[in-house]
Amino acid sequence: MKRIISGLWDGKGFDIALVVVALGFLMIFAGLPLIYNVVMSFQKVDIFSLGTFARPFAGFDNYRAIFADPIFVPVMKNTVIFIVASIVGQFIIGFSLALFFTLDFPGSGYLRGLFLVSWVMPGLVVGAIWNWIFAGDFGVLNFALRELGLIGGNIFWRSDTNFSLWAVIIANIWLGTSFNMILLSVGLASIPRDLYEAAELDGANALQRFWTITLPMMRATIGAIIALGLIFTLQQFDLFAAITSGGPANSSNVAQYWAWELSFREYDFARGATISVLMIVLVMIASVVYVRSTRYEVRG
Amino acid sequence: MSDELQIELIDVDKHYGAFHALKAVNLSIRKGQFVALVGPSGCGKSTLLRSLAGLETITAGTLKIAGEVMNAVPPRKRDVAMVFQSYALYPHMRVIDNLTYSMRLKRAPRSQSEAAAKEVAATTGLEKLLDRYPRELSGGQRQRVAMGRAIIRHPKAFLFDEPLSNLDAALRVHMRKEIRSLHDRLGATSVYVTHDQIEAMTMADHIVVMRDGVIEQQGAPLELYDRPSTRFVGGFIGSPAMNFVEAVVAEDRRTLVIEDLGSVPLPGGIMLGAGETVTAGLRPEHLEISAGDGPGLHAKVDFVEFTGAASFVITRGAPGLTVFNVGRTTLRPDEAVRLTIAAENVHLFDRETGRRLGA
Repeated sequence: MKRIISGLWDGKGFDIALVVVALGFLMIFAGLPLIYNVVMSFQKVDIFSLGTFARPFAGFDNYRAIFADPIFVPVMKNTVIFIVASIVGQFIIGFSLALFFTLDFPGSGYLRGLFLVSWVMPGLVVGAIWNWIFAGDFGVLNFALRELGLIGGNIFWRSDTNFSLWAVIIANIWLGTSFNMILLSVGLASIPRDLYEAAELDGANALQRFWTITLPMMRATIGAIIALGLIFTLQQFDLFAAITSGGPANSSNVAQYWAWELSFREYDFARGATISVLMIVLVMIASVVYVRSTRYEVRG
Repeated sequence: MSDELQIELIDVDKHYGAFHALKAVNLSIRKGQFVALVGPSGCGKSTLLRSLAGLETITAGTLKIAGEVMNAVPPRKRDVAMVFQSYALYPHMRVIDNLTYSMRLKRAPRSQSEAAAKEVAATTGLEKLLDRYPRELSGGQRQRVAMGRAIIRHPKAFLFDEPLSNLDAALRVHMRKEIRSLHDRLGATSVYVTHDQIEAMTMADHIVVMRDGVIEQQGAPLELYDRPSTRFVGGFIGSPAMNFVEAVVAEDRRTLVIEDLGSVPLPGGIMLGAGETVTAGLRPEHLEISAGDGPGLHAKVDFVEFTGAASFVITRGAPGLTVFNVGRTTLRPDEAVRLTIAAENVHLFDRETGRRLGA
């Protein structure tokens, strides 16, 4: 006993104790719910069996039911559009802003800091503000587009099935851009200035410097941004709840919102869990791609 | 070395806001010349080099490279190559890709760029390292890649920005020789910035000493050593540094009296009245420790430093004099010494302006 205690204070024991605390935390608050979720997707669950862990085994019934659901294909399509459009939009605008702020004009530091405001605001508040912007008859977005001559009549962003998903995507791009910008700014700042000077003397013009120096040097940052972007967009729930509630007619329904609807609106926990498992698989694939891309430091 | 001018600076000025970094700089560099820019940090030597490269734009004056005015020409069109203090190797490219970067930008055929890289690798001793990444190289090897990247372009001029300051002392001495012999073999024109006067003395054909944005003096290394035109140059060139003392011209106008110390002979051909005060510069290697009584400087030894081949004797008092003594000495602290110096080795400077007096 004495040996164990002294090992805890001066030897490897202390290191192990620290690791155990972190691992224990992860197991209890992330590992167990994850396993519980996977188990639930293979069980028959109803409101009465919710309290027990021993529930009838259902095999792949839940999966079959989800795949056979008529809204499965549209929801998956929406999810893919939502993820790709959000990440591409956030990344391109974020990268442009990050490059813009490298110009270091007076006040650029403060201005860049202000962009973070969007990230500090709760998603529901952001949704409420965008609801006003999107409003069909008095919204400022319609006003701007009309005055610019881009549209003839008002667009009913939240209730038109052609636009409802895009309304959420626009709000989500606005929400995630500043995070992209900050991370990309850090990446840009870590590229030594003299590399650009050397490239300039070697004969590279601005575009060539961007392709041959900036982008390859940013590879790890870009990989991280896209992996995190995927996780954040798959987590995005507040905006759907606040702007469209997945409607109209499921035109803006996505996997994470559908899972919530099944579990907490229809109390079909098993199918809600099944969708979550499908999303986990997706994130796992993306994570593997990300880890592989950053395994070998920066290489062109 | 030909008489053709490769780089010409005429009345060049550079301002950073209120800060005047270069003041009316005039400099002509001939084709094939190795020019060193030396001076303490903040003297403008790096600004001058970066202006040549085009990384800084000059505020006024004319900058010509190979006869063409380059004031507004961007760096990539100046055809000059630079070796950075940090080497600035592209970390995401292998050595061969670092070398051929400029050729790939010009879309040179692969076979051509690879052949050029092989040739450069042979001259710089990088043959076996072509497939490595910069992080897998030692400091000296990185230095060679940086030089190879410059050589492959056959530029109009090589610009070196303190390239050896990140290397250890032994490697620095070795690379000094290597850079100079490379320069000679390539028949290149080189401008070399350093704060180390020994590097400048050993490598350059022509040294430019700068201070506060002004060229204090320029000329051949030994010219600067023998006849420093200002007190600053006298103190900067030569190691250990020149001793400076206040001296008064004696009644007989043949000696200079140095308070508390004694006297030194007044060099000939200098028009100075009796009683005038000047600054005398005495190089440590020109002071001789003499035996017996007689004229000279009388001081007490403060301490002695031995380097093996020579010893430095530092005397008490303000200012303490440094004496460079070949071989070993038996002098001990507090021992009295008499120091003598030949008249032609006494440098005189104006007390106010620091300008050299006499020939």
